[in-house]
Amino acid sequence: MNPWMHYLVWPLVKFLVAFIIVQGIVAAMNWVERRLLGFVQARLGPNRVGPKGLLQIIADPVKFLLKEDIVPANAETIAYFLGPILPLIPTFLVYCLIPFGPPPTFVAARVNVAVLLVLALTSTGVYGIILGGWASNNKYSLMGGLRSAAQMVSYEVPFGLSIVGVLMLSGSLDLVKIVNYQADHIWNLFPQLIAAFIFFVAMTAETNRTPFDLPEADSELVGGYHTEYSAMKFAFFMLAEYSAMLVNCCLMTLLFLGGWTLAIGGYGLTTQTLQHMGIPGGMLGVLIFIVKVMTFMLVYIWFRATFPRFRFDQLMDLGWKWMIPLALANIVVTGVVVLLGQSLNFQGEVVLSIAGAAIVGYTLYNLRPRAKVVHASRVSEV
Amino acid sequence: MQVEYPKSEWTDKFLLLDMFEGLKTTFRELFKPKVTVRYPEERLEPANRFRGMFRFSFDRCIACKLCAVACPIDIIYIDVHDEQREVDGKMKKIKVLDRYDIDVKRCMFCSLCEEACPTKPKSIWLTTKTYELATYDRNDLYFNMQQLEYWDDRPRYEGLPEEEEHPRIEGGQRLLER
Repeated sequence: MNPWMHYLVWPLVKFLVAFIIVQGIVAAMNWVERRLLGFVQARLGPNRVGPKGLLQIIADPVKFLLKEDIVPANAETIAYFLGPILPLIPTFLVYCLIPFGPPPTFVAARVNVAVLLVLALTSTGVYGIILGGWASNNKYSLMGGLRSAAQMVSYEVPFGLSIVGVLMLSGSLDLVKIVNYQADHIWNLFPQLIAAFIFFVAMTAETNRTPFDLPEADSELVGGYHTEYSAMKFAFFMLAEYSAMLVNCCLMTLLFLGGWTLAIGGYGLTTQTLQHMGIPGGMLGVLIFIVKVMTFMLVYIWFRATFPRFRFDQLMDLGWKWMIPLALANIVVTGVVVLLGQSLNFQGEVVLSIAGAAIVGYTLYNLRPRAKVVHASRVSEV
Repeated sequence: MQVEYPKSEWTDKFLLLDMFEGLKTTFRELFKPKVTVRYPEERLEPANRFRGMFRFSFDRCIACKLCAVACPIDIIYIDVHDEQREVDGKMKKIKVLDRYDIDVKRCMFCSLCEEACPTKPKSIWLTTKTYELATYDRNDLYFNMQQLEYWDDRPRYEGLPEEEEHPRIEGGQRLLER
């Protein structure tokens, strides 16, 4: 094949297709989130525009486009304009690296250090927020930007550390290989249960979502870093946030939930099986992937509907005193078990899975209703 | 009813049981019926003592002007002329209403006019169940005698389905359904 086609045109086409689909999902997520939040709060959410309020997905961008674009008088102009754009670029670039289905068709760029590259790109998202918060020339915006900086830098550490266990098990930084490893053995969710939990919490904090939405904190900071932004610039911030959420959910699916495969111990829909089925198999893989990603997006919304916001010192405590030691302990345990497994000839991930399953089981056992109702007539006897 | 809670163990905190409990609660809430009343299609039925739009009765009114006196912002305009009429076989001087206007757009619905009215039953009262008073022109809120008596006939917002089609919901009914 023509190298230009192979290395430039096809990846670009794939990236554009992924980009458009992802933007559609992001726009739809806004509606889904408002609707579900409404349901949880005994409301109906946006249901007036179109059937079930579905046209809200179109109405919102139209509103953003038509609104007046206000620049504060004393804003730092260049930084103010860069603010909403900077977080968009890395999150969009990451879509090149994420395999949405079995390779080679559904991967725009297969890089053998994809995990590192994704982490590096997503962590630059904080610059836009700081710049935007500072350039607005507003106390609250600056406060939001600073909070965001501290929070995202702190949670970058457990975010990275929680992945190490997965990398030790699968022995590769290539996302495709990690997925193949999970299809051949077991989803990393079970052997790396604690890592998966830390990863999820850290990625919630990374994307400034409730309960870690201190940079926005509408009740104390009037919206934080995007207070002074209106119209499309504000929409860019939201777009960046939701895109980052989606990227993180994709990463979570790839690292812990077996990506586009649906297999255990090499049985089921592995990458090879899907590749044998041709294009329909690939589509099936993409469908499985999207379902898994959407599950995590819904969990994001579920978290937002449930948990109140952390105080800032609580946030830092959680990050530095709990998440990082826990992630380090997880690395040590995983390493010891994998090494012992290699020398004593047993499957390390099986042992770790049993431990993970035990934790889940014990939690579920403790979640049973334990409050005992004593009837008023019997209170005197007690 | 009394509820006994078990002593919490140290593992409860470590396993984040409270957090999962919260998640369980919100998940259950997701499927419960919602309290929202979708207004133009569904309407809330106000309680019987609800204070809504005026209703005036020409037949009961004795044109004593007490309501106009009671009105704290003087928005009731009454014109009266005397007439000789035969009542019970005798000629009597009777007051006849020419004009009874209320400038509803300035009204604060204090109901003092209703309290002042000496007739029984009251000839001006507010305990109607109408609250849909919005108009496109503020002069539409200046009601004369006929409008006050028959305001049900005034045109409503078009494009709504027929009156029978939208269910009326009593206040608090949705909460009871949950």
